[in-house]
Amino acid sequence: MDAFDLDIRRHVYFSVVANGRPPTTTETAAAFDRPGADIAAAYRRLHDAHALVLFPDSTDIWMANPFCFALTPHRVEAAGRTWTGSCAWDALGIPGALHADGRIQSECACCNERVVLRVQDGVLVDGDDLLVHILVPARRWWDDIGFT
Amino acid sequence: MVYLRSEEHLERWLADGGWEPGATITAAQMNELARVWWWTRLDPGWRVRTVDESQSILDALGLTDPFWALT
Repeated sequence: MDAFDLDIRRHVYFSVVANGRPPTTTETAAAFDRPGADIAAAYRRLHDAHALVLFPDSTDIWMANPFCFALTPHRVEAAGRTWTGSCAWDALGIPGALHADGRIQSECACCNERVVLRVQDGVLVDGDDLLVHILVPARRWWDDIGFT
Repeated sequence: MVYLRSEEHLERWLADGGWEPGATITAAQMNELARVWWWTRLDPGWRVRTVDESQSILDALGLTDPFWALT
């Protein structure tokens, strides 16, 4: 990953934190005064490097993990904003990435009943009786990150 | 990666979906893992972690079963 791609990635993440959503390639192209095709190519390289996840056949950002930009059951309140986590791991990762306390509202995968977790000073103070199940072995996490 | 209310719900969810069981940890363990894993994600000097570095994070939390092997 070269310096340009790292700059693009940094811009994406700072935009996510500032705006609650990722920048489009057009917005990033304007920020860097570069052609949109250069930014689209950078987004694809970052996707290939697992530094971002793009929607299939698109240059729109699906995940800048742990943040997700598609509907999931995992809603996270942290640092004054409501975020979406891709999965149980990423939902807990959002307070971690933001270095903030957080409240996660999600559901039991079995019964769909609401579950609430709360992270305070890095410690899970509510929801610590819940379980997390990981179906896919670690070596295959990136085979289909949407399913993982 | 999903939340489940109990072992009973886990067993029922696996059976209903026809899933082969993977790995189960507590939400508290997952919070520890998530905190370490994502802590540097917004650092201006962030770089891609090596596989060894990522594996070390899992190892340090006791996640040493072959299920957690990244390669």
